[in-house]
Amino acid sequence: MSKTYEYVPEPALVKGNHDFKSLTALITDINMRPTPKGWYIAFGISNILLFVLLFSIGYLIWEGTGIWGLNAPAGWGWAIINFVWWVGIGHAGTLISAILFLFRQDWRTAINRFAEAMTIFAVMCAGIFPAIHVGRIWVIYWVFPLPNQMAMWPNFNSPLLWDVFAVSTYFTVSLLFWYVGLVPDLATLRDRVKSKFAKIAYGTFALGWRGSNRHWWNYEKSYMILAGLATPLVLSVHTIVSFDFAVSLIPGWHTTIFPPYFVAGAVFSGFAMVLTLMIIVRKIYGLEEIMTIDHIEKMNIIIMVTGSMVGFAYLMEFFIAWYGGVEYEKAIFILRATGPYAWAYWIMIACNVISPQVFWSKKLRRNVAFTFFISIVVNIGMWFERFVIAVTSLSTDFLPSSWGYYSPTFWDVITYVGTFGLFFTFFLLFLRFLPMVAVAELKAVIPQADPHNYDENGEFNPPKVEIPEPVKDSAQKG
Amino acid sequence: MSDQSNQTTFWKSLNELAKNKEYKKYAEREFPENATEMTDQVSRRSFLRVMGASIALAGFASCRKPVQKILPYNKQPEDLVLGEPNFYATSMPFQDTVTGLLVENNEGRPTKLEGNDQHPSSGGRTNIYNQAGILNMYDPDRSRAPRNNGEQVSASDFVTFASEHFADRNRRILFISEANSSPTYNRLKENALQTFSNAEWVTYEPFNEDNALEGTNMAFGRRLRTVNHYDKADVVVALNDDFMSPYGHKNSVENAFKLTGRRKVTSTEDSMSRIYCVENSFTSTGSYADHRLRLKTSEIEPFTYALAAKLSESLSGLSAFSNVSNVFTNHDWVNRLADELISNGGSSVVSIGFDHSAAAHAAVAAMNRVLGNAGETVTYHEVPFSDDRHQTEAFIEAVRNLNSGAYDTVVLVGTNPVFTAPADLNFSDALSNAGTTIHLSDYVDETSKACNWHVNRAHFLEAWGDGYSYTGYRSVIQPQIQPLFDGFSEVEFLNTLLTGEASNGYDLVQDTWRNYFTSDFNRQWETVLHDGIDKTTSGFDAVNVSLQSGFASNIRPHLSASPIDGIEINIKPDATLFDGRFANNGWLQELPEPMTKITWDNVALMSPTTAESLGLPPEQSFKSNDVPTVRISAGGNTIEIAAWVLPGHADDSITLTVGYGRQNVGRVADGVGVDTYPLRTSEAMYYQSAQVERTGSMYEIACVQDHNNIEGRDMVREATLEEYRENPDFASFESIHGFAVPGMKEAKEKGDDRGPVSLFNEQYGPDHQPQWGMAIDLNACFGCGVCTIACQAENNIPVIGKREVGRRRIMHWIRTDRYFEGDRDNPKVYHQPVPCMHCELAPCEQVCPVAATTHSEDGMNQMTYNRCIGTRYCANNCPFKVRRFNFFNYTKEYLTTGDDPEIIQMAMNPDVTVRFRGVIEKCSYCVQRVNKAKIQSKIDTGSKKPADGSVQTACQQACPANAITFGDLTDQNSVVSQHKQNERNYVMLEEMNVRPRTSYLAKIRNTNSELA
Repeated sequence: MSKTYEYVPEPALVKGNHDFKSLTALITDINMRPTPKGWYIAFGISNILLFVLLFSIGYLIWEGTGIWGLNAPAGWGWAIINFVWWVGIGHAGTLISAILFLFRQDWRTAINRFAEAMTIFAVMCAGIFPAIHVGRIWVIYWVFPLPNQMAMWPNFNSPLLWDVFAVSTYFTVSLLFWYVGLVPDLATLRDRVKSKFAKIAYGTFALGWRGSNRHWWNYEKSYMILAGLATPLVLSVHTIVSFDFAVSLIPGWHTTIFPPYFVAGAVFSGFAMVLTLMIIVRKIYGLEEIMTIDHIEKMNIIIMVTGSMVGFAYLMEFFIAWYGGVEYEKAIFILRATGPYAWAYWIMIACNVISPQVFWSKKLRRNVAFTFFISIVVNIGMWFERFVIAVTSLSTDFLPSSWGYYSPTFWDVITYVGTFGLFFTFFLLFLRFLPMVAVAELKAVIPQADPHNYDENGEFNPPKVEIPEPVKDSAQKG
Repeated sequence: MSDQSNQTTFWKSLNELAKNKEYKKYAEREFPENATEMTDQVSRRSFLRVMGASIALAGFASCRKPVQKILPYNKQPEDLVLGEPNFYATSMPFQDTVTGLLVENNEGRPTKLEGNDQHPSSGGRTNIYNQAGILNMYDPDRSRAPRNNGEQVSASDFVTFASEHFADRNRRILFISEANSSPTYNRLKENALQTFSNAEWVTYEPFNEDNALEGTNMAFGRRLRTVNHYDKADVVVALNDDFMSPYGHKNSVENAFKLTGRRKVTSTEDSMSRIYCVENSFTSTGSYADHRLRLKTSEIEPFTYALAAKLSESLSGLSAFSNVSNVFTNHDWVNRLADELISNGGSSVVSIGFDHSAAAHAAVAAMNRVLGNAGETVTYHEVPFSDDRHQTEAFIEAVRNLNSGAYDTVVLVGTNPVFTAPADLNFSDALSNAGTTIHLSDYVDETSKACNWHVNRAHFLEAWGDGYSYTGYRSVIQPQIQPLFDGFSEVEFLNTLLTGEASNGYDLVQDTWRNYFTSDFNRQWETVLHDGIDKTTSGFDAVNVSLQSGFASNIRPHLSASPIDGIEINIKPDATLFDGRFANNGWLQELPEPMTKITWDNVALMSPTTAESLGLPPEQSFKSNDVPTVRISAGGNTIEIAAWVLPGHADDSITLTVGYGRQNVGRVADGVGVDTYPLRTSEAMYYQSAQVERTGSMYEIACVQDHNNIEGRDMVREATLEEYRENPDFASFESIHGFAVPGMKEAKEKGDDRGPVSLFNEQYGPDHQPQWGMAIDLNACFGCGVCTIACQAENNIPVIGKREVGRRRIMHWIRTDRYFEGDRDNPKVYHQPVPCMHCELAPCEQVCPVAATTHSEDGMNQMTYNRCIGTRYCANNCPFKVRRFNFFNYTKEYLTTGDDPEIIQMAMNPDVTVRFRGVIEKCSYCVQRVNKAKIQSKIDTGSKKPADGSVQTACQQACPANAITFGDLTDQNSVVSQHKQNERNYVMLEEMNVRPRTSYLAKIRNTNSELA
């Protein structure tokens, strides 16, 4: 019988022939070793930037929104751009952990913890901006539907209000999802650390996890339910962020393509940011065997696909601007490409549309250094995408008399730079104190977890290494 | 019980409880501080400090009333209800004219000036200087006391000095005075010249009508004031005459409402006058004209003579011009204008700007006479107080005599020649030749600093006075408030010099008016005060004129005037600061200049072609506020000034405006712009040739409109009168785009003609009456900007300064958009006032997360400042970009800077909240006025539907062109409803289906097809 199909063997998800124990050691030892000097340096720099952020926010609140470069046509500037950018970055984590989980993409386990942490910190950075960009931050609680004597409710028609709910829900669910996934690993750390204080700390957060069958059963169920909850949120949060623009009537904002286009863009930038961080971390912490070149390649493929989707959206915007026949929309797109902000537009096109296309080449998408470079380029490109959307539409809208050029001030720039301080402060704390890979989950997908040792042809391949001895530690049973 | 610290204390006020210093001082005095010091003139300032701040306010508010004694309200007067403003008639003097005004007076504090509709010079309308006059009075930088050699002294010191110094009646005194129409002033002037037999009197105004007076002298043998009746003219030829702008003509308000009144079109049956404008710079009048020809200023006179020559071919009486032959002989425009003028003889007006020589004015006067316009559309009037010679020449001569030591005393009444006199006169050096120099002025200005004595002048709202309007209607100026900083009015000052005693303006004015009302004085006097005008007079008598016999020989030597080769410069008064007298007025500094939209600066205006020839870019950068500067040398002086390209400006010509570049005059004026007076010489007051080169350096300009091209959009719609008659619907969306608004057809089939189907509640308060709306007639608007100032005064809009304006954060609730269209050398210009549109389906309301902007049941888009958190989403989503954001605490900065911020605070309208940092604000359709009228109507008639016309928005009320109408749309007979039913009515962005309540009436130009 001739073969009608061919089985393509998947490369092993974890290289280096790790057993359960060595895997646990590889990851959790990072948390248990003395803090490296480099970490202190990085943490110090992050802290300085964090204080830059706090200072610039303080000055903003003291002086007024006028310290930014905002003006009469451009009521929104860097703050909203940064908000959308950070929220977009915050997309990858939940996409990786929830959607890829539901699709049984086992390769996600190597990076999901890491990506989720990034998500949470990115959403924190994002959340700052809509709060501080308002004129009167001291009454910002009015956006919440708090019962009051005057029966004065927020305006439920407003996309900004939807944003409040969307982003806060997303943040809450992402945090829960991340935490639930952490529980077995926190128990591992609890059992391994020597210091009493650390034991109590990890123990508290491990919620009494003992690895019993019932624990695992509950864990798997809740993880599944949270994955199910998080999945629509991945799509909804950026959809609603895009509504801030799409629901308005400004030419270049008022487009129905925005929700899918924003989600694709968010995935695009999120994956790029995961790659940027992962390439550094796997090198520094020696995790190349877990976060393998195959992972990088898969992520590059996603970047290429979502990059192409974004590029398609750019083309469709132009097509609809022409086909729709609205003169203001037509004008705005011509102005984007040729007008005062053409420089920003072409940076965006070069970074977002052209640069990911290089990943058609297998050689390049398996090149770590090159991938790192592209990931940075994509992050820059996606920032400019938001800049182009937010600023060009406002600065050249309906009445030519109101057209005006927007440029940022010193304070716009340092507030943005400061958010990296916040992000990396938390991220470095995460790297230092929490297992950056989901150890328990990862063990399920290593070759050694396959108890049958049969290959794709049904032939028995005895393990090439000794079957590990039964472990004494109950936490590592899984 | 110990009598120490925990003893029970009884306290009457929180101050007493706190036992602070102020309280102790207060308690120790038998009377409140100001009560004992009230009579002491010097401490009036401390009175003010208390005034604004504290307990004294309620009791002493009446002090602001212009009465001769200060008394508290023991029993409240019948005509004063706290919270209800009173309106008084008064007049605002400007040069030698007055404009009739009504003053809104809130508890003794004037807050708003409106036109007096019984006064023919205003017709109830105003210009920017009238509107901003109120801020000048509340200017804390005004001089507060007389000064002797720079040292502050008391008013009585000055009186003592005056009585001693002027006791010698043989002193050789030179009086230099501003132009002043006041009969009292002129009576005292006569007195002074009689009393001081060696005195000489000259009037110096840097911009004046002397050339026009000399022109009529040359033509008719008498110095006569020319009054053009634009309401009677079918054809107007304006030769470099910006007669609609307040800086261009003393009678601009009357000119504007008469001219635009002749051009109101309500149906295709109506006719309108046709305006031809020949001018150098692009002015408001030029932009309003049906046809405009750009010529260098130095070409205007040859053009005028060529036109007269052309007319002389058909009309007798102009033989003086028959031999004229210059570059404009047979010019297309000369031929067309001659045809038009001849066929409209007796119903046309030819006018020429005051910049031009007496001969040019004589030529124009002769043309008007020969065309039969004189006595019909142009009248000539004898001005009783007019001087008998050219005052600028007299001034120049007087300065020469001053240099030769002819005078021992110089008395300057109000004018500021150290700043404004032609540079070659070296006026400040000349002054030093007189032993005693006395200067009466509002500010301690350049001239004050050069004089031994400075005397602070009272503002016209603070002192009694009188005056004649341009056309000769006599009014009394009644004060509205006790002088904030004391000071002398001009008449009090003159009388003090004459008598050596402190004077009372009230008595002086009454003394004059007793001559007019010989019987029943009190009743007639009170009638004049009440009406704001002496109705027993009907203006200066018109004089029948005929060309004098020597006219031809007088004018012939001047007819060979030829244009300047190369680049010429023109020195003009500034659109907002005039000759510099309004330099310390923040509202005017921040008012965008009508054509360039520049604030807080003066620039060198030039055409794109001239800019290119100087190596400058032909248009401004959209991205940067920096503009290149040029170095201009003329008359031995050089200045550096920012170059600004004004499409439509004449080539090889540069227009400069004066009044800027002040030092140590006031906080607002100092350091703003460049002083261009140094380029002015006594030989060439208005234009001369100059060397111009680029400097290579840049200068930042705060311009409120960065993009000038309308991009072919339909914001402004326009047709010629003929096109309108053929297609009255030309302004509809369908006529312009060739298709109806999408969704409109379907909506109409369903019986809804209001607009396409909407997701939202279609109509607010469907059964509610009234429903407010506004219509703006673009056929009337000429872009003067008075609506903006009126709105600023009414709605307490802060001044934010050049830096913030440069960042495009201007706060004006109504702006005037100015677009250029077409050829860059001869563009058409449109002016479009843009207030909030009060959309029925307002996009701003839908996006506000906290519902801070909502709709009222009478159809207004309301802004609730208290609820606003400042997301600026509404501003983004406003397609008209009319929402303004308080990026900083502008109001606080505006109202609390300086030592005595109470003064500027007194200028605020008590009916309008001032806005805090971080909130959005915008046009409210003057909701405070609307609600006041609704309440009044409810009281009077029981209906909340005020009668049409009983509510006027501030912009509407101020507009000299009557361009804005506002009223109830549920009243089919209201003016605004009728405007909205007109075919020319359209709304901006109709296809957006936001349903604006503010609509526009399309512009119509009455073009001459032969010139098109």
